[in-house]
Amino acid sequence: MAEQREDSAVLKTSEGGAAPQGGVTVEQEVGKPTQVKGDVAKSGKESLLGLLGAMKVEVTNKKKLKNLKAKQRYEPAVKPNPAALESTISMFQKATAESSAHSETLDPDLVAAASAAASTLPNQSQAESELLRQLRRHEAVTEAQRKGDMSNLGVIIADMKVGRRPNRQNARPANQIRFDDDGQGYTHDRSITAELDGVRRRRNLFSGKRLGIFSPTTDEDKTPPPPAKPTIWDVDFANHLVLSTNQMPRNGFEEMIQWTREGKLWQYPVNNEAGLEEEASVPFHEHVFLEKHLEEGFPSQGPVRHFMELVVSGLSKNPYVTVQQKKEHIAWFRDYFQQKTDILQEADVYLN
Amino acid sequence: TEAIDPTAYKYQFQDDPYLAPRTSAEFKLFSLSQESGRSAAKYFINSNPKFFTKDFAEPHIPCLMPEKVSLLLEEVSEEALKERISLRKVKAAVDMYDQLLQAGTGVSMETTHDLLDLICLYSDREPVQEGGPETEDVVRQEGWRIRRASDFLKTIWRENNNAERIFNLLPERDTHCYSALIRGMIRHGAYVKAFDMYTDMLNNRMTADVRIFNALISGAPEVREKYNERWDLIAELLNQMNQQKVQPNLLTFNSVLKALRRCGSLARTQALHTLSEMKALGIAPSLASFDHTLAAFYKAASPTQGQTDLLQEVMSELAGSSFTCQDPDDVLFFSNVMRICLDNKDIELAYRVQSLVEAGENWRLLGDSHQQTIYYGRFFSLLCMMEHIDVVLKWYRKLIPSLYYPNVQGMRDLLQALDTDSRLDLLPTIWKDIQLLGHANKSELIEELLALMARETHSPEVQESFAVCALDVKSVFNGDRGTLSLEWSTSALCHITSLLLRAKRTQEAWEMLQLFKAKNRVPSEELMNEFLLECHAAGAPDRAVELVQLSAAFCLPATPRLAQQTLKDFDLTDEQR
Repeated sequence: MAEQREDSAVLKTSEGGAAPQGGVTVEQEVGKPTQVKGDVAKSGKESLLGLLGAMKVEVTNKKKLKNLKAKQRYEPAVKPNPAALESTISMFQKATAESSAHSETLDPDLVAAASAAASTLPNQSQAESELLRQLRRHEAVTEAQRKGDMSNLGVIIADMKVGRRPNRQNARPANQIRFDDDGQGYTHDRSITAELDGVRRRRNLFSGKRLGIFSPTTDEDKTPPPPAKPTIWDVDFANHLVLSTNQMPRNGFEEMIQWTREGKLWQYPVNNEAGLEEEASVPFHEHVFLEKHLEEGFPSQGPVRHFMELVVSGLSKNPYVTVQQKKEHIAWFRDYFQQKTDILQEADVYLN
Repeated sequence: TEAIDPTAYKYQFQDDPYLAPRTSAEFKLFSLSQESGRSAAKYFINSNPKFFTKDFAEPHIPCLMPEKVSLLLEEVSEEALKERISLRKVKAAVDMYDQLLQAGTGVSMETTHDLLDLICLYSDREPVQEGGPETEDVVRQEGWRIRRASDFLKTIWRENNNAERIFNLLPERDTHCYSALIRGMIRHGAYVKAFDMYTDMLNNRMTADVRIFNALISGAPEVREKYNERWDLIAELLNQMNQQKVQPNLLTFNSVLKALRRCGSLARTQALHTLSEMKALGIAPSLASFDHTLAAFYKAASPTQGQTDLLQEVMSELAGSSFTCQDPDDVLFFSNVMRICLDNKDIELAYRVQSLVEAGENWRLLGDSHQQTIYYGRFFSLLCMMEHIDVVLKWYRKLIPSLYYPNVQGMRDLLQALDTDSRLDLLPTIWKDIQLLGHANKSELIEELLALMARETHSPEVQESFAVCALDVKSVFNGDRGTLSLEWSTSALCHITSLLLRAKRTQEAWEMLQLFKAKNRVPSEELMNEFLLECHAAGAPDRAVELVQLSAAFCLPATPRLAQQTLKDFDLTDEQR
């Protein structure tokens, strides 16, 4: 049943209703009319025929198309969904219709060779339609190239890629293993790739030409850029980064790590002075020996001095207040007593 | 205990076994509710700071304290302006700035820069308030599609908005001001204006900085139409960058590569050149660079060519290294790579990708849960397609449900994989999983399941388990569980009935026949034959007669044949004739 569906799809592939011009062998083998129109490039024909006979058709990139004698290898992809196939082909048709008219032509011998090649493949009709499509694409590209208009080529290639892969939701039965032309499947390739992996290092990735625009700076040239204050753009960028990655903790340990970073959890091993970093730089004698603050601004004898010595002794035992706060405390007292100087002198207390 | 426990669900939900998410919908719901709870708490703290003044914590925990959300300074001063900028109140900041200008006091350059940055970032609109009541916009940690939709509503750069006005009023403009404007324009879609401003800047003989260039490069595909023109513009920008002695950074090259995706066929060669350039300059490419390069080579819809060479080299390059996210597009890398593997049906490569994901902290780069679902979905489909059923089942148990809830397509792939390897006896367990995942109301899935079960006869134990399963399915159809009941379809009815027959549950099978009549569906001919055979085996001629009458009621074409066979096979009493 699959075959029949493919037949109907390929029928729609054929353009127009013109009578088949050639390829009697086509009809014999495949049993349906294949439409062929007009004349076509002769230069690629012989090489293509020879290559098709060797049954390796490879899609080439732009550079290699100039040299059509290159080896080609082709792997027919199975597309069992006929409706999607039809839409693919019809879209492809529209795309090619917009490009030059003779890009849709195919030599009848090519078609015959294509069908001959396809007949030995398991999925005959699909392979045939694929081969024909590849050939048409080659033709289109060759034509465009011969006209020397490379930008057109780019547009054609871009247009050709419009043929979207059919909706993969329905098109994947389990037997969708692709075959090499020798029918061995590609498990053959798999083991080879594993071996070649060590061999084939970064051959293509970084060894190409450079853009050649920038030159690597040496250390003397590079002055370290002034550390810029993080602008709102940077904050926004950082926010975006954090939001896009997955930051959820996967287990309790990661959650605790995250909390420690945020400050919600103490840092282990527990440090008694955590949170008191600025105090760590102040030596202890500045906390304890506070009499030197009493030397100026206060009388050196009398009840005021007595009082202040008690204040200082109390402050020196206070571990909760910073040195700065203690100094401010003492300074407040200094100001206070200086404001009240006249009262003190009246009471005969103020002895300088 | 560092490895992931595949039988447990996500850690964030491990509180109450009842609240374990079993379907993807539940997962979303629970995550959203967790996040909205946190946002609501934060909102409450911030809007009522007077209740949260006492600080018990020693040392002080700043992130649990109320943040300053409302303005404190009201007078017209630069301090007030800075405050408004830091609180990101766009309109208030602009008003304050205008007031300052009118009052004649100058504003320092730095503050002006900040102000311009603020306006340009938000394109003269207020930013979305975080922690507000509209929490469905602002789910922070797991970005759902809702958030993405609001990202796509890009704001538009209006003509003559405040940024431009303030810019024009400035007596002197330096690089930072231009940078703010240009970046804002590119971000909000005014590409042509951005380029005009850049030309303006060049005319004033100022050098641009690297961020300006990054923004311009990313905006280049918008201002030119043809591929080679786009590339020419990008190359020109890069050359100017070199002339102005601005060093490119990773983001520069990533924007080049991203722009190259829209340059058509030029992308392949130039992308490789760009990568070499990066290497020569000593900038390590991030995942996003590889993602863009691979996208240039493996277009999503082109027919597969079986050549995963480039991808393999990329994987060799990346193997074993651990990444941090340096570019927001890094997270798209893994799902795209898995798509390429899926298109090319390359399972080895998929395994390498998976091992990269499991290395170090790379799993964080799988992105939010939507991206994760895509990635694992593709991986699982590839496995179902390519691997033997035992491997598939091993991965099934590993991934589901701790990491990934498959959708209907995933379950169908699994069913097909089972079918290929003839492990249909596992179908009842899969059915239980389907029910757990919440796909039990998807009619095409049930149809496929039933069809697979009913296709051939199996050994008796298997048939028995199938029959139990079939009864289960029947109850789903009847809506016994309170879920939405499905419409009965002919094939479903036929399959269920034949399954029940094969397991010799005759009574239930007869009930099914009555259902046929009730739901106006016509049983198939094979079904009738099966029934007849069964009646023959059970030696119940009256049943056979009933059968014939039933088929006559349905006007089946097989009725006369059935009648004849009944007459032939059974000894009927005269009454029954």
